Amino acid sequence: MSEENWIEVGSTDSIEEEDLIRFDHQDKTFCVYKLTDGFYATDGICTHEAVHLEDGLVMDDEIECPMHQGIFNIKSGEALSPPACEDLKTYPVKVDNDKIFIKID
Amino acid sequence: MKNNIIILGGGQAGIYAAREIRQNDSKSNIKIFGEENLLPYERPPLSKDFLLDKKKEEDLYFHSSDVLKNENIEFENISINKVDFENKKLFAKNDNVYSYDSLIISTGSENKKLTLDNNLKNDIYYLRNLEEAKKIKEIVSNKNKITIIGGGFIGLEIASSLSQLQKKVIVIEIGNQLMGRIIPKQIADLVQNTHIEHGNEIILNKQIEKITKKNGDYEILLNDNSLIETDFIIAGIGSTPTVKLFDNTNLKIDNGIVTNQFCETSIKDVYAAGDVSNFYHPFYERNMRLESYQHAQNHGICAGKNIAGVKTEYTSIPWMWSDQFNLNLQLTGICDEYDEIIKRGNDINNGIIYFFLKNNKIRGACGVGIIGKVGRDIRITSKLIEKNTIVDKQILSDPNLKLNKLMQK
Ligand SMILES: Cc1cc2nc3c(=O)[nH]c(=O)nc-3n(C[C@H](O)[C@H](O)[C@H](O)COP(=O)(O)OP(=O)(O)OC[C@H]3O[C@@H](n4cnc5c(N)ncnc54)[C@H](O)[C@@H]3O)c2cc1C
Ligand code: FES
Repeated sequence: MSEENWIEVGSTDSIEEEDLIRFDHQDKTFCVYKLTDGFYATDGICTHEAVHLEDGLVMDDEIECPMHQGIFNIKSGEALSPPACEDLKTYPVKVDNDKIFIKID
Repeated sequence: MKNNIIILGGGQAGIYAAREIRQNDSKSNIKIFGEENLLPYERPPLSKDFLLDKKKEEDLYFHSSDVLKNENIEFENISINKVDFENKKLFAKNDNVYSYDSLIISTGSENKKLTLDNNLKNDIYYLRNLEEAKKIKEIVSNKNKITIIGGGFIGLEIASSLSQLQKKVIVIEIGNQLMGRIIPKQIADLVQNTHIEHGNEIILNKQIEKITKKNGDYEILLNDNSLIETDFIIAGIGSTPTVKLFDNTNLKIDNGIVTNQFCETSIKDVYAAGDVSNFYHPFYERNMRLESYQHAQNHGICAGKNIAGVKTEYTSIPWMWSDQFNLNLQLTGICDEYDEIIKRGNDINNGIIYFFLKNNKIRGACGVGIIGKVGRDIRITSKLIEKNTIVDKQILSDPNLKLNKLMQK
């Protein structure tokens, strides 16, 4: 695993529990979540229409899109409720010295 | 026992009912009869992304034929024109007769039509299904000045799409506000401003006296004697539940098929779901009929559960959306029973929501904002409504205070 692919997102206390932050890198947008058992990352744009999930609601392990209430599992990216039907891409996350990193391929 | 279950109406409620039955019952025969020769598809994009060419026909289907095949659900392109509830039989236009043990009616709703001279009947277009959307899309490509009769959701969504296609659009509404049947005036006015800013002309409080055809174009005479010249007319003046089929039966109908909280109609083994049903909502303690995506899905699922023997009350708090230009409007609960209104936010860029409260509890809320900005708060509101939460009005009215604080209490 090459070190270069791990991108620093910010410090662990920049996200409240059961919440998310948006993270932009180059021309892509990601969402980074703090759930009760750790940090997770997904694409930042809904797979249904081009809406930022940063304004969505995090509930347990799910992110609900603010536009049409499409729901995705944050850990697997699985689309759980229409109108979202295409899965959301997920990314590995690690924490090092209170900093969050995501691995972008 | 192997039951014959027929779902009459192959739209959103129908497909969700079918799949839910299969989840709970692997044996019964499940057949969906749909008069459109298309697998169940989403209607919301018809007035929006389909007209704008951002979505194609193949993007609209809920499920592929493979999914239905795997779940052993049959979809047949059949139009039913007579029902005999006593003998549990359906009669198709092609003279075939089908027997059922249990029936779900999910025939949806249909557009109201303008009462006009016969010679104009084919000149006015309406939008309900994919075929009509295709026709409208094709015709507007060579029209410039388009008039929409009716300022409801569908008319305004079409107006927004056509404006984005660089058309000159005029909307004529008989009432004193847009989307008057369900949306509070405060929100309707914000949406109206956006239409005007994008160049759409909005005419309120006017009735159509006469439409005359002139060299392929039209002249619309309004009741204040003003005259509008236009080259294409689309009407969106509301819809009615598709129940004509049951005229001479003893199925109880009152603004749709009357159902209880279990989707059961007045006739044993007959259920109804989606736009066609006027259902009892235990939370609001009254009957209501909704025409919305979320309701068609959840109500279909609830009917499916009940028909499969998993007795389930329908308690979903109503929710719907409309997308116009760069705005996303959302409504939850009902906004016509209140003793207090609270406003949250002042800037449409960040979202503005009006909450309708009764006895310090939210009964409904309606908000509008740039895409994505009201969804989270509206979703939290649905939960607050459902939990009957007594709300802290300070938090409700201050957009800097997060609404989920109210949930934790
Ligand atoms: C243009 C448009 C835009 C919309 N936009 C939104 C939106 O933005 N947000 C939102 O929340 N909701 C929206 N809606 C509403 C939403 O799409 C409907 O509430 C939903 O489709 C209702 O589902 P249903 O299954 O009850 O009925 P339908 O989806 O209408 O399905 C009923 C089906 O039954 C068939 N049928 C009827 N009679 C017979 C018969 N005798 N025999 C066989 N088949 C029959 C019909 O042909 C139809 O295919 C929109 C609707 C339209 C038309
Ligand atoms: S944009 Fe996310 S569900 Fe539609």
